[in-house]
Amino acid sequence: MSNSNTNSSALINDHQIGSFGNYHNKEKSELLTVKELTNLSIYQIAKFKSSNANVDSVIINGLNLPKKYPDVSYNNDTRILWNGPDICMVVSSDLSIKEKLSPINDDDFAVTDISHSRAIIEISGLHAIDVLKKGTPLNLNNSEFTKNNCANSSYNGISFMLDFIDDQPLTFRLFCLRSFGGSFYHSITDSALEYGFIGE
Amino acid sequence: MLEIKCPYCGKRSQNEFAYGGDATVKRPNLGEEVSTKDWDDFVYYRDNPRGKHTEYWHHVSGCRQWFKASRDTATHEIFNTSSLEEEI
Repeated sequence: MSNSNTNSSALINDHQIGSFGNYHNKEKSELLTVKELTNLSIYQIAKFKSSNANVDSVIINGLNLPKKYPDVSYNNDTRILWNGPDICMVVSSDLSIKEKLSPINDDDFAVTDISHSRAIIEISGLHAIDVLKKGTPLNLNNSEFTKNNCANSSYNGISFMLDFIDDQPLTFRLFCLRSFGGSFYHSITDSALEYGFIGE
Repeated sequence: MLEIKCPYCGKRSQNEFAYGGDATVKRPNLGEEVSTKDWDDFVYYRDNPRGKHTEYWHHVSGCRQWFKASRDTATHEIFNTSSLEEEI
């Protein structure tokens, strides 16, 4: 049985290492960084419609499940993203996260390993938000969407999940269905060419 | 571009939604004798009103929840949205 993380790259035929686009005569700090993350486990937790369980009773790695858009519960190695009413996505670099999910009552919640079903791109740099604005209709202005927020939306028609990781430097994680990974990656990197980016 | 207020996520672009049809149509009750005409009306026949209309929408690129919207079919103004359980 394979590991329950995204170690097998979804972008192996697409992601390239190097400098691309308008990177000439620019400092590294001015450029965007685009990388694929392959070391994360992803689990979806969905409460059954018929269940009366209290979502507050679920604690994973010391974190409660977020209860409304656009909340994220987080610590150093785990982030729990609000995905819909009583539906969350646990994203973790903790290799023992599977064991930490096992106490969840499966009469009340469906816990599904979706680690292999996503391509994950992390984009960071001054212009990361400008790259996103080129393709998504989400309102990414400061008043609406801030650090440690998440949202589902579409980018050039491809459904994806956006996780705002940090604002110093601007860093976002983008999750899309694995089969759309190549198209999504090229959409993102085409938008990033204008600013210049480093593929890591 | 229309902005639609998802009851769970707030205002979002129409791009993220899919239209789901007339929300006023009632499925014939299970276990009861249903005439062919009633099935035809339920499955095929729809009104085509000009003006205020209650519809299903799906936030397909967002929280993936179905909800109801009250929309003017002539002006596209959206008056209100609600979850399926709520009265609109």
